[in-house]
Amino acid sequence: MRRVWIVMMLLGVVGYGAPLRVAVAANVSYAIEPLIEAFHKSYPHTKVEVVLGSSGKLTAQIRHGAPYDLFLSANMRYPEALYKEGLSVTKPVVYAKGSLALLSMKPRDFSQGLALLTQPAIHKIAIANPHTAPYGVAAAEALRHQHLYDRLKPKFVYGESVGQTLTYAMHAADVGLVAKSALFSPKLRHLKEGESWQEVEGRFYHPILQGMVRLRRTKQKRERDAFYHFMLGERAQEVLVSYGYSL
Amino acid sequence: MIELSLEKKLFGSRGAMTLKMSATLKRGTFVVIMGESGAGKSTLLRTIAGLESAKGSLVVHGEVWQDETTLLPIQQREVGFLFQDYALFENMSVEENLLFVKENRPFAKELLEMMEIEGLATRNVTTLSGGQKQRVALARALMRRPKLLLLDEPFSSLDPRMRKKLTQKIKAIHTHFGTTTLMVSHDVSEAKALADEVWFVQEGEICPSGIEVL
Amino acid sequence: MIDLQPFVVSFKLAGLTTAILFFVALPFAWWLSQTESRSKPLLEALTALPIVLPPSVLGFYLLVTLSPQSAFGGWLSETFGVELVFTFWGVLVASCFYSFPFMVQPLQNGFESLNRHMIEASYLAGKSRLETLWYVALPNITPSLLTALMITFAHTVGEFGVVLMVGGSIPGETKVASVAIYEMVEMMDYTQAHIYAGLMLGMSFMVLFGVYFFNHRQKQKVRKH
Repeated sequence: MRRVWIVMMLLGVVGYGAPLRVAVAANVSYAIEPLIEAFHKSYPHTKVEVVLGSSGKLTAQIRHGAPYDLFLSANMRYPEALYKEGLSVTKPVVYAKGSLALLSMKPRDFSQGLALLTQPAIHKIAIANPHTAPYGVAAAEALRHQHLYDRLKPKFVYGESVGQTLTYAMHAADVGLVAKSALFSPKLRHLKEGESWQEVEGRFYHPILQGMVRLRRTKQKRERDAFYHFMLGERAQEVLVSYGYSL
Repeated sequence: MIELSLEKKLFGSRGAMTLKMSATLKRGTFVVIMGESGAGKSTLLRTIAGLESAKGSLVVHGEVWQDETTLLPIQQREVGFLFQDYALFENMSVEENLLFVKENRPFAKELLEMMEIEGLATRNVTTLSGGQKQRVALARALMRRPKLLLLDEPFSSLDPRMRKKLTQKIKAIHTHFGTTTLMVSHDVSEAKALADEVWFVQEGEICPSGIEVL
Repeated sequence: MIDLQPFVVSFKLAGLTTAILFFVALPFAWWLSQTESRSKPLLEALTALPIVLPPSVLGFYLLVTLSPQSAFGGWLSETFGVELVFTFWGVLVASCFYSFPFMVQPLQNGFESLNRHMIEASYLAGKSRLETLWYVALPNITPSLLTALMITFAHTVGEFGVVLMVGGSIPGETKVASVAIYEMVEMMDYTQAHIYAGLMLGMSFMVLFGVYFFNHRQKQKVRKH
């Protein structure tokens, strides 16, 4: 009888082990729950813990020994840096392409696209900080492409991450440049395209290639790899597309 | 003429007690209030000053300080009060303490001379001895030429020699200014030296009597 | 090249917050110390709330309340043309909320430890409550006063979550030193971060030391008298 107990306990430790920790950039926070649900269809016993943050902050934490197994960044630069430093097992791989969108809680005429931002009725524009957030870099790029950046600068309000930028856009600023994926979250899903939000034209900015890496410091190699391959597979792609990402 | 009739429920060192005091006092009288600790002597003084509240009436020199409809605030009662712990304004010098009460330099000087402390005028009060402090407090209490002088065991923190000296000073003041004075004391010799009338307070009630009883 | 703007914003914010809170909190702390009202514990608890609330939560609620999209913020905007979010004035208002208990509590404690008889002596001298506060009570709680001023100042300089939320990190306007340093860490520009952090510590230390030293000198003067 005792032997059965010991074996069961060992199985418990191995099979129902510590949860998988996935570091996730802010813009993916809206899609991550459905992604995990889909993952559980094939791997029902692997618990997944999500650590949300701005890509920059998560990278700094990983550099200093944070116990994450996977990192889903909002760009390629941060995961590439981790790879160069030997902290990731493989080179970064693109798991999704992000897009920018204009969001306003008050209905506006989005037909002019970014030019709308020059209207005097728009006092404050929420934008992710281009120094720290990849979506901010893209937003700045798009505005510069349309020769609007310098003119609009006095109206900017900087969100520390694209998540905070969304908070600003929803609660205090007149318009925000946010991750398109946010518009598909349950809270904002009811907003009408063309009335409350509009995608920013893709040709205005370099595609936001979002990179994923498997981290060397892991205790769950198998589970980590399982999630990694899941993210690159068909089921995950379906979920991502439904959240406004392209591939 | 001072007429008082005051009632107050107290929760003192002896448990619950009702203070019920009435008395009349001729202007200029020196009353010493004696009695056991916790009998309500300080409370009586403080109520007259307006520092504590009680039910009843209090009329001083024809001015109503308290009755069913009026309650004169502390600031408007012309009372000089001496505390056992002096209660001087510690951020000020001796003369500043006096001038804060009333800007009357000549009178302040006169009072300090009477108290024999005119040399301490610019000293900060925290640097003085107990006896010196109480003399400053006494001078301060007189600055407004009050209608009543109330002394709450003013000498209990002082040594016997100083007590005697200050008793003499109080006597001199009383003779000079003629202010009606009520003093709480435990000391029989002080009472003998100063009192025109003695009130014994027992369980919240006054039994006035002359000084023959002492 | 060191951009000193964030420091200017930080110290401007801390200085103004301290000055405003002094005049607002002083009568309130005095009243709290003297009152026997039954509502005292309730008011004390409310005053202490900003200490307990996480700064980012407080920042969020202030953001939503002051936003032109809200009832209050909208009224401000329409009636006075004033928008408080993402402006220095908005951050100032937020800082005043956030640092309020740090000004009230030391003052209140100081007043409560004063000799009651001394206060009564002031009333007996014919002085009103406010005169007593200004001429008798306040001069006798100099250590508590200094503590209140210094802690409020230091607390505001170190403030991060609230300013970040309500301010929007606008350079020269709402980007305080603490936010600037955070940004440098995020950008992994650790050298800059170290320099800024060092500067901030140095400047703050000078201010605090200056005041304590001055206070010490004053005490010596009184003793020699």
